[in-house]
Amino acid sequence: MTKDFNIDDISNLASIHLEEKEKLKLQKDLEIVLEHVDALKNIDVKDEKIDIHPLSKILDLREDESTPSLSHEDAMKNSPETKDGHFVVPPSIE
Amino acid sequence: MSLKPTIGMETHVELDTESKMFCSCKVVETDEPNISLCPTCLGLPGALPVPNKKAIEYIVMLSLGANCSITKEGMFHRKNYFYPDLPKNYQISQFDFPVGVEGSLEIVIEDNLHTVAIERVHMEEDTGKSIHLGSGRIDSATSTLLDFNRSGVPLVEVVTKPIISSAKMAVAYIEELRQLVIDLGISKGKLEKGNLRFDANISVAEEGSDELGVKVEIKNMNSLKSLEKAIDYEILRQTKMVQDKESIIQETRHWDENKQVTLSMRTKEGSADYRYFSDPDLPNMVINDEFIEISQNQIKETPEKKRKTLLDTGLSLSDSNYLDKGQRWLYELYLSTVKETGDCKSTFNFLTGELQGQMRKAEISELPQWVNSEKLASLINLFENNEISFTSAKDILAKLLIEDIDPKSFASDNNLIQSSDNDEIKALVTLVINENQDIVERLENPEDKLVGFLVGQVMKSSESKVNPGSVKEVLLKELFG
Repeated sequence: MTKDFNIDDISNLASIHLEEKEKLKLQKDLEIVLEHVDALKNIDVKDEKIDIHPLSKILDLREDESTPSLSHEDAMKNSPETKDGHFVVPPSIE
Repeated sequence: MSLKPTIGMETHVELDTESKMFCSCKVVETDEPNISLCPTCLGLPGALPVPNKKAIEYIVMLSLGANCSITKEGMFHRKNYFYPDLPKNYQISQFDFPVGVEGSLEIVIEDNLHTVAIERVHMEEDTGKSIHLGSGRIDSATSTLLDFNRSGVPLVEVVTKPIISSAKMAVAYIEELRQLVIDLGISKGKLEKGNLRFDANISVAEEGSDELGVKVEIKNMNSLKSLEKAIDYEILRQTKMVQDKESIIQETRHWDENKQVTLSMRTKEGSADYRYFSDPDLPNMVINDEFIEISQNQIKETPEKKRKTLLDTGLSLSDSNYLDKGQRWLYELYLSTVKETGDCKSTFNFLTGELQGQMRKAEISELPQWVNSEKLASLINLFENNEISFTSAKDILAKLLIEDIDPKSFASDNNLIQSSDNDEIKALVTLVINENQDIVERLENPEDKLVGFLVGQVMKSSESKVNPGSVKEVLLKELFG
């Protein structure tokens, strides 16, 4: 039932360019994955407790205290291009 | 065909904490870019987020203040996208277990109370700031500069149900929400600083229909004025399209402040496109009764409570709402002054009209120390009891703003106390009648406008030292018996 996905939409959302050959292969692979997922829908879970997170540990919170951060120079070190203290990236809206 | 607009608001509130949401970097307000960063808020591999307890307290306070139920067992999700303003390529947010659900806020429009239903209040992190270089137009930029100081600052999103029906109502809702975060002390609430940022989801549908029309999201409104204009514009645009049988597409549009129009930005992603999934770095977040109680105890004031206090003094709903949304000192000054005058309307009018007006004119933003409710009440009582004229009250106030005087002593020392001595008034009235026989002959009845002119003449000849009410009484008696 979930097989009618569009491989172009998915590659677009993931920002991955795919060749036609790759698209065909991935289309098949993803159809198999979705069949497995569909199989899960047939399991009767109505009496099961909802587990909302895979980990049973409870989240630790920290106090609202600030500590020194990276220096500006260290923070910028890996950037291929900088300008006036900013990171420079290709144009993007939003 | 009659169409009705439906609006839902999404508001982001920046919380006023010392450190960021998931790391200990200081929250900074500076133009110097990229100075408060660490591996977590830069999204470097291996860095792990740890939530800020104060931010969770604040969102619980906001949820309670907006009359929401608290989700006791919640969690964080990853909202995936590829904008460069968050270098992790996802934003930590909440999806199906937001902290607050199903609340409401009371809002005031003119003298009427309305309720806006709140759908959800959820916790997330702010993004970095992007500066688009090039021609100045967002869609023809040649490169984008990024400053990540804001990346990871605690952000709460408050979402209303789609039940707002006009631009005016949307503005009143934002004013109420803004006042709530200020009164709770959880955000600076400054619109011009971006502490509160809002988007509006607008659709139009046939009157009486249960179904909503196609939703268009409007962004980039950074003031209440632009919010009102953008909503009004968009309602008109969509109404015209429906009437012309054109189909509306679901999209995001931005408000162009210069052109005063909404322009298409991009086709809106659906929720599925963000591929929300639970953040494996952050286990379940339990908000227990003790935590809720601690947060509840920190709520000292809400705009709703303040409004009730003001209504109890006898003020109208719109006057109460005016003081509720104004500066804190004015609200407090009104409450302490009205206690002494016992007259809500004249106290409200004097403080919001005369006092604020004179302060604006004299460019005083803070009241001098010696100007207290006792002195202001004494001044208000002096003119309300007709002991001084309103003109004298204004002069005394001007003096009081620059010098520590006692209004009553000042009035008597400067011969400003009006006489209610009927003999003195009668003499002045007789004089004015004799000097204005031509006018007296034209008088037809006691309601004649010329009576006011004669009262004015008496006041002038007394140099405003007599009570105008008594003058009118004596004058009418002399003229009409």
